[in-house]
Amino acid sequence: MRIPVLSVRNLYVAFATRRADLVALEDVSFDIAEGEILGVVGESGAGKSVTGAAVIGLIEPPGRITGGEIRLKGERIDNLPLSAMRKIRGKRIGMVFQDPLTSLNPLFRIGDQIVETMMVHLDLSAAEARRRAIELLGEVGIPAPEQRIDAFPHELSGGMRQRVVLAMVLCTNPELIIADEPTTALDVSVQAQIIALLKRLAKSHGTSVMLITHDMGVIAETADRVAVMYAGRIVEIGPVREVLKNPRHPYTQGLMGSIPTLTSDAERLVQIPGSMPRLNARPPGCAFNPRCALAIDRCLCERPPLVGDDRAKVACWLVEAEEGAEQRGEVLS
Amino acid sequence: MSPAPLVEVDRLWRVFDVSGPWLNRVLERRPRLFLTAVADVSFAIGRRETFALVGESGSGKSTIAKIIVGLLPPSEGDVRIDGISMSSPEARKKRADLRRRIQMIFQDPYASLNPRWRVDRIIAEPLRAFGLMRDRKDIEGRVAELLELVGLDPSDGHKYPHEFSGGQRQRIAIARALAANPEFIVCDEPTSALDVSVQAQILNLMRDLQDQLGLTYLFISHNLAVVRHMATRIGVLYLGRLVEVAPSRELFSNPRHPYTRMLLDAVPDLEMTGRVRRPVEGEIPNPINPPKGCGFHPRCPYQNERCRRETPILSDENGRLVACHGVAEARI
Repeated sequence: MRIPVLSVRNLYVAFATRRADLVALEDVSFDIAEGEILGVVGESGAGKSVTGAAVIGLIEPPGRITGGEIRLKGERIDNLPLSAMRKIRGKRIGMVFQDPLTSLNPLFRIGDQIVETMMVHLDLSAAEARRRAIELLGEVGIPAPEQRIDAFPHELSGGMRQRVVLAMVLCTNPELIIADEPTTALDVSVQAQIIALLKRLAKSHGTSVMLITHDMGVIAETADRVAVMYAGRIVEIGPVREVLKNPRHPYTQGLMGSIPTLTSDAERLVQIPGSMPRLNARPPGCAFNPRCALAIDRCLCERPPLVGDDRAKVACWLVEAEEGAEQRGEVLS
Repeated sequence: MSPAPLVEVDRLWRVFDVSGPWLNRVLERRPRLFLTAVADVSFAIGRRETFALVGESGSGKSTIAKIIVGLLPPSEGDVRIDGISMSSPEARKKRADLRRRIQMIFQDPYASLNPRWRVDRIIAEPLRAFGLMRDRKDIEGRVAELLELVGLDPSDGHKYPHEFSGGQRQRIAIARALAANPEFIVCDEPTSALDVSVQAQILNLMRDLQDQLGLTYLFISHNLAVVRHMATRIGVLYLGRLVEVAPSRELFSNPRHPYTRMLLDAVPDLEMTGRVRRPVEGEIPNPINPPKGCGFHPRCPYQNERCRRETPILSDENGRLVACHGVAEARI
C-alpha cells in the first residue's frame, strides 16, 4: 500500500485556560491519499479549522497539540522545531484562508509576493521566478497576467484575489493544500469558479487537498471523501457520495435534512434541537447525545469510537449495535 | 379583484454620493462619483406573502430593505405600505402608527442586540417605545409570552445576550420584532450568520410564526436554496435592478433571465445529480461605473448590439416579468 500524503493519528489539541484545559480536538484520525480531496465539514466550533492549523503547525498558544501524531509522507511533522516546520510550511504544505485580503500583503504587488515565496523555497533566479509567476497567474485564470502581476491586492476583486492566493500556494508545487473555507467570503457565481479551479489544479498538479468548509454543497461538488466533525471529533468519514446520500451517524442525517436544497419540496426542514455544546460543557458519553433522538443509555456514559473499514467509519453506538447484529445474523445463517 | 397589496414599491431609486472630499476633488481634478445602488425597482407584496429578494453582494438588496422600513430615504420613487407613503411629508402622522406595524430582523444577532441590556428589556423596548403597555406586570407577561412563542424559556429574560448562542440570539431578535404585533417583517439575511442545523430551526420558526400570526415577510438572502424554501415569490436583483420576478416554483423550474439561469447553475449540487454546468463567466461589475445598456451584458452569452446600448425594462413576457431584450425578442 502506498503511504498516504497526510496521516493524522489520535490527534488531541487543547487550549489551556485559567480554569482547565479546553479540549478542542479529541482523538482525531484520518488519512489523505495522493491526489485526493478530503472535505472536512462541521458547524462552527466543531474543530475543522483547528485540525487544519494543527497539520500546518499554526496552533498558537495557549493552544497546543497534547497527543497523537501527524505524518507527511510518512515523516513526522507535529514535533519538528520551528525552523524545520518553516521549511515545510508554504513549500510542502500550502494554505488557503477564507479571506484573501488577509493572506495578501496590501503593500506589495501580487507578483512580488509570489516571487518572494518561490525565492525562499525554491532554487530559482528572480527572472525565472517572475516568468513562472506570470505562467501561474495565467493558469489560475487571471486575464492579462503580464500586466496584472504588478497590481496591488486592492486593485483586484475578491474572486481574483483568491485566484492569486491559489497561484501563490501552487508556486512551490506543494504535496498538500489546506483550504480553510476558501469560498465562504465569495458570491455564489464566483464561488463556483473557484471550486472548479481548485479541483482542476489539484488534479493537474497531483496535489492532495484538505478542504475545510461548512457548506455541504461545496463538499458534494469537490471532495472525494468527507469527514464530518462534531464537538472536536470526527463522527463519520467515508466516500462523499455514500456519506451524503446515505449518512449513518444521526448527526450527519440531521445535518443533511436541515439543509434546504434546490430540488426538495419538503414543507419543513429537519430540525436538530439545541446547538453544539461549548468546549467547557461537553456532555459525558457521546457529545451528540443531548440532541440525538435515538440516544440509548450507553450513549450517555461512554464515548463511541470511530470504527469501520478503511473506506468508511462511524462513531455511534447505534450503528455499531446494528452492524454487530448483522454480523451475528450472518454467522447464524 | 384581489385585495390591495400590503407593500407597494414604486420606481425606487437610490443614488449614493461616493465622491472624495471636496479639497481632494479640486486638487486632484477628480469628478464627483455616484453609486446607483437601486435603479427603477418596482414590486408589490401581498398580505401573508413571503416575497424574497436575491442577488449577490452589491446588488442592492439591503438598500431596498432599509428604504422600505424608512431607515434610508429614497432618491426617487416611493414605498407605500397599506396605502401610506413612507416618504411624503403629508403622511407623517399616519406613518408614526405605521412604524409599529413594520419590524426588521437583521443578519447578525451579535450586533443587533444591546450587550448591556437584559433580554427582557430588549424585548420590551418596542412595547415601551410605542407606548403600547405601561403596567410593569403587563409588560412582564407579554415578554414571557413572546419568549415562549420563539421557543425560549420565560426565565431567559433575566439573562444578557452574551449568555446565548447565535441561534438563540436570533430568536430573541425575532421576539423583539414580534413584540409590537407587527404585520410586516423585513428579514435581512436572517440566517446567514448561523450554522445549518440552527438555520433550519430559525427558518421553521419563521414559517410557523407566519402561519400563526398572519405575517407578511420581505425576505432578503443570497442563498438560493433558503429563498426557495421560504418564499412564495422571488425578485432577482442584479446591479440594483430587478431582472426577473416570478413565483418561487416557476423561477426555479424555468428561469428566464440569463443571470437567473447562471445563478441557478452556480449553486453547488448537493443532490449530486451529476448535472452538467455551464462555466460561469466573470464577476459583478463595479456599480460606480456600470456597463452601458443591460448591466449583465458583459457576462451574458446571448448579448447583442441592442443589449450593449439599451437598458431593458422589467416587462411581462408571456406571463413572466423579465428584464431582458433576448427574452423579449424570443431569442432566448
